[in-house]
Amino acid sequence: MGNKQTTFTDEQLEAYQDCTFFTRKEVLRLHGRYRELAPHLVPLDFTNNPDIKVPLTLIVTMPELKENPFRDRIVETFSEDGHGNLSFNDFVDMFSALCETSPRELKTIYAFKIYDFNRDNFICKEDLRKTLNKLTKGELTPEEVTLVCDKAVEEADLDGDSKLSFSDFENMISKAPDFLSNFHIRI
Amino acid sequence: KEFVALSTRDRIRAIRDLAMSFEEKKHIRWVLTDKQLKLISFLVRVILRCGYSIRSARQTLELWQGIMKEIGGKFGTSVLSYFLFLKWLLMFNIFSFLINFGFITIPLLVYDPSPNIPPNVSFRGLEILTGAGYFNYTVMYYGGYSNETLIGLVDYNMQLAYFFTIAVYMVLCGIALIFSMASSFKENYVLADTVSNSAWQLLCSWDFSITNERAVRQRKNNLRVQLKVNKTCVTNPLLSVKTKSGEREAETLLVPFVVSLMNLVVPLFYSLFNKFEHYSSLGRQIYALVVRNVLLKMSILAVLCYYWMNVVAEKFSCWESMVGQALYRLVIVDFLFLMLGSFFGEFLSNVIGTRLLPRLGVPEFDVARNVLELIYAQTLAWIGIYFSPLLPAIQILKFFILFYLKKVSLTQNCQPPRRTGRAAQMQTIFIALLFFPFFVGALSIVAYTAWRLTPSEQCGPFRGLNNTFSVVGVWIDDLQEIPASQWVVWIYQNVIRSEIFYFLITLIIIVIIYIFWQVTQGRKQLIGQLRQQIVNVSVLHP
Repeated sequence: MGNKQTTFTDEQLEAYQDCTFFTRKEVLRLHGRYRELAPHLVPLDFTNNPDIKVPLTLIVTMPELKENPFRDRIVETFSEDGHGNLSFNDFVDMFSALCETSPRELKTIYAFKIYDFNRDNFICKEDLRKTLNKLTKGELTPEEVTLVCDKAVEEADLDGDSKLSFSDFENMISKAPDFLSNFHIRI
Repeated sequence: KEFVALSTRDRIRAIRDLAMSFEEKKHIRWVLTDKQLKLISFLVRVILRCGYSIRSARQTLELWQGIMKEIGGKFGTSVLSYFLFLKWLLMFNIFSFLINFGFITIPLLVYDPSPNIPPNVSFRGLEILTGAGYFNYTVMYYGGYSNETLIGLVDYNMQLAYFFTIAVYMVLCGIALIFSMASSFKENYVLADTVSNSAWQLLCSWDFSITNERAVRQRKNNLRVQLKVNKTCVTNPLLSVKTKSGEREAETLLVPFVVSLMNLVVPLFYSLFNKFEHYSSLGRQIYALVVRNVLLKMSILAVLCYYWMNVVAEKFSCWESMVGQALYRLVIVDFLFLMLGSFFGEFLSNVIGTRLLPRLGVPEFDVARNVLELIYAQTLAWIGIYFSPLLPAIQILKFFILFYLKKVSLTQNCQPPRRTGRAAQMQTIFIALLFFPFFVGALSIVAYTAWRLTPSEQCGPFRGLNNTFSVVGVWIDDLQEIPASQWVVWIYQNVIRSEIFYFLITLIIIVIIYIFWQVTQGRKQLIGQLRQQIVNVSVLHP
């Protein structure tokens, strides 16, 4: 094949292929995209695993994420420090989990984490309210927002604690077949 | 942990499915692969590497990746599903062309490279449109194939080759359709609970792949509107089915012209009526449109096939080629009208919507109507394979050009859809429609032709036989001479030709279906009981 690239060692590329849903070419392409976000920060040579993190503010300028109302939450969910600063490994991990070949279970887990704004492993009414506001650009009145959130929790909550655990969420998602086809980002 | 129980390959696959950060996954991977014998690890690595390079190779051959991403980003998943469907149908035609060309045409061309054309026929440009004339005597149609056994490096029996190539292709098509219909149904109709259109819509319907700002704004507005308003339902079924009555054999292009004109105009009327009717949900609106269009196209095809089977088969000497030509003309004219339809449906609507009647606005891409046109076009190709083995080549060209045409028309004339429809379920319905009634209909037509109609005396690979299926009978008789292939003869006589076998198979299948059905009912009951248990437990332990 004779790919004379010096960005990654062969072992690194094998690790990427094993742990994500991307092929060699896609990983190299992702490196290009990562680098163009911050060319002065990201080196060309990744063979010695440099510890570089691109900040949240630069990541959300990507065209794939720019128009997404959940872009901040998505990036925060996949960052190790929880503040949205992604290393290249986190970057690849994010797009791998959101790609088309990623299985339903994985997407459900990450969707739950993304919608869980306060990170308490439950989607409470406050989380739903924030979700709704992001989706409707704040054009609903507060009463309407509360009404919809209450109805959503009432429909999905099986164990009656007025917040949604992961199993409640998974149950509702399984009844929405469009979820799997909608919840992906093409890179 | 659980990983130890799996084989190495499954372990690698399972690692990908973990919801952990990349570093953690890498660590697990290192831990797992390090604790094995080096030899086994090496072999598995080689296999994995092969798998990865196949994946990479398939990716470079992937057609239209960039365009698909662009369309998905600007218009969302439901419009993209049309283009994915088009690409999938294109694959069927490429496969069909390759096996027809490889197994039927190439042996004949190798054996007899020059077609035997009568001396006074030459190539005029008109043949591309009508398919008759010069093309009639080439390998394009059934009539151009000989019925002999070609002597060459190997004795190649043209009759058997023709019959089995087409039969195997149809069977493989059917299997592929059944599999994708089943998997699509499984994914998209999992627990057939009608999710109410209120609260959970907000969490499930957001299309994450949209990158276009205007599309995003529209989706947000749409969501807001749907959450605010409850529409009342006033259905007004205007079911009018047009049938063709009476044919004239005046000009050969007249028939396809009229057919395609009806296929173009009547669905546009249906779409127009759709705009003025009120439906309780988007699903019902699309459903009504789809049903009307399907009935229209089925009735047109039924009348055409009746004419071909009953009138053309009696009147003409080389009637299979005539039918092949008729189908060729239908395909070509259908293509021209699809281009016209793009013009009317999208470009003119855009002009009318922006300049003349601003109230209508910029048109949306009508996914349902366009997918049905694709299904109709593919049905023509499926019917035509028996009569014209190289018709898939025309179909490939047609779909190729259509893709780029629709893409340009979409980006220039249409806006992203305002209502977030149930794209996944529509996809299942379209595949189901493709299979039944269209594929099954095409298969029945071809089967009826092969079984009931006498092949023409003067041309084609089946001349002189009573019907096409008797080819197999003749072959089996020949095989009886050869002692080594007695098992084939046995299978033919005791399995394929015996009625008891089919009866038993049907009985077994019915029993299996019944068992599966009961298991499903039991599981549904179990789910209800478990749900009740969760509620009870939470009441007891608040």
